[in-house]
Amino acid sequence: MNKTILKSAFGILLLTGLLIIPRFVESPYALHMMILLFLSVAQGQSWNILGGYAGQHSVGHAAYFGVGAYTTMMLMHSKNIVPWVGVWAGIAAVIVVALIIGSICFRLRGPYFVLASIAVAEIMRLSAINLTTLTNGAEGILATELPAFKLGATVVTDFVTKVPFYYIGLFLVLLTIGVTYWVQHSKLGYFFQAIREDQDAAHSLGINIALYKNIALVISAVLTSLAGSFYGIYVGFVDPPTVLGLDVSVQIMLICIIGGMGTLWGPVLGSLILVPLSEALRSNMVTDLLVKIGIVNADSKVGIFLKENLSHAHVLLYGILVVLVILFMPDGLMGFVKKLALRRKREAV
Amino acid sequence: MAILEIKNVSKFFGGLAANSDVSFDVHEGTIMGLIGPNGAGKTTLFNCITGYYPPSKGEVIFNGRKLNGLDPDKVCMLGMVRTWQKVRPLAKLSVVDNVMVGALARTGSLKLAREMAMEQIKVVRMEHRTNFLAGGLPIGERKKLEVARALATQPKILLLDEVMGGLNPAESEEIIQLILDIKQRGLTQMVIEHDMKAIMRISDRIVVLTSGEKLTEGSPQEVVSNPDVISAYLGEPHA
Repeated sequence: MNKTILKSAFGILLLTGLLIIPRFVESPYALHMMILLFLSVAQGQSWNILGGYAGQHSVGHAAYFGVGAYTTMMLMHSKNIVPWVGVWAGIAAVIVVALIIGSICFRLRGPYFVLASIAVAEIMRLSAINLTTLTNGAEGILATELPAFKLGATVVTDFVTKVPFYYIGLFLVLLTIGVTYWVQHSKLGYFFQAIREDQDAAHSLGINIALYKNIALVISAVLTSLAGSFYGIYVGFVDPPTVLGLDVSVQIMLICIIGGMGTLWGPVLGSLILVPLSEALRSNMVTDLLVKIGIVNADSKVGIFLKENLSHAHVLLYGILVVLVILFMPDGLMGFVKKLALRRKREAV
Repeated sequence: MAILEIKNVSKFFGGLAANSDVSFDVHEGTIMGLIGPNGAGKTTLFNCITGYYPPSKGEVIFNGRKLNGLDPDKVCMLGMVRTWQKVRPLAKLSVVDNVMVGALARTGSLKLAREMAMEQIKVVRMEHRTNFLAGGLPIGERKKLEVARALATQPKILLLDEVMGGLNPAESEEIIQLILDIKQRGLTQMVIEHDMKAIMRISDRIVVLTSGEKLTEGSPQEVVSNPDVISAYLGEPHA
């Protein structure tokens, strides 16, 4: 009982903290980092429902992310439809795409499903490149001028600073965590996990496999599309590689693999590791730090080498990280934490 | 009254007849034993009945309804559920969650499902394992978990595929008692089993399969005294 009170107190404190951060933090860079973090958590949670709970390891979530982003951006760019309306069109488009993909790919199991999911995302990427009249092809769509968001006559926000994006991102995080919590504590969560653990056994227990896989996919795809739309309007630019590329799919999946698949807090933990890590490497923060504490001379050969190459090293580091996680904590960080907690409990007894 | 009618069921895999022209009835409230040497087609017949394979020929009629081609989940919803020879626990879920998955076939409420699950866990006497992960259970308890999970779907007929396989005598005895308990509650059962002593004790009638065909059917006494059955198991006597 005490533990639940403690937990909810901590939750409320954390949430209030997150809500008031923009009042005290003015640095756009810090807010940008937070927004990237939120985006990553939302992506991870979305994937987690299909990949973590229902056990269908999609390596093609870029398809849903990209369709959401593209639909919103295309409507805003060519039809002047405001994004908060365009988002719904994105959702509708993604549901159609998800159901088509689901009805085809869910006939396959395991690695065959993985391959099919990759293929579908690649089809989407190539379509985006080649349907130039619709998507502007490889050039992408640039739409940085966001119309002000009005309720009646009052302008709620005009999207000049990063603050409104911060709150939208936070809302997405809360939404995706909320949906995951709801799934976990409903019939759906049990059915998804039964399918993950043993599809034939689940089938014999009265679970309509095709139906529940498609439900998992649609929930997952809709949330991913929301994240995609948010990415589009935040960055103001989409092109095929950045929203439909294979690395987008892989990145989404990694958040969960590293954080812990099929757990509520896994994607949060995964994002807390991956986002700062990739940012630190990408922005040459590590090299600067090494120079500052005097380990490396900025003008020496090593210094120049690091400056030139370390920013590309985040992909390498991801690879190493994944290998380590799979070797030493196959259930991700969350699984590792749980195991430690169990061990402590056992030792206490 | 026959709750389950198997009419001339055949199942071909390419040119191989795993079942050919098998017919028998299972009567309500009874236990039907299904025996036969390895490869006789017992599990294939289970798969045909519960919807994992559509029968190549013939009909499966359950409660007056033809099942051919119906998916396993629909079959389960109609009230027929099976367990697996090679157990299939939902390894990363606890015992109670495993059984709840079965109960959720009948209710949308987790609270109700939990109560129904606890009831079945009591039936198989595994209360002390309620919150253990299913993947960590020893084989005897995994077998019992299969039964509890199947019972939680509230079936009219339960198909048990070698629930005693790999168990020690004490565990087998426990399962025999469990099967008889379940019969007491009026549930129809069909049991595949290799342990002849056990099958003789629990079955009301026995069907013998060999090479995919029905060899004979009858009461346990009739079946064991049938010379064909003896030769199917032990081979022809040499003069």
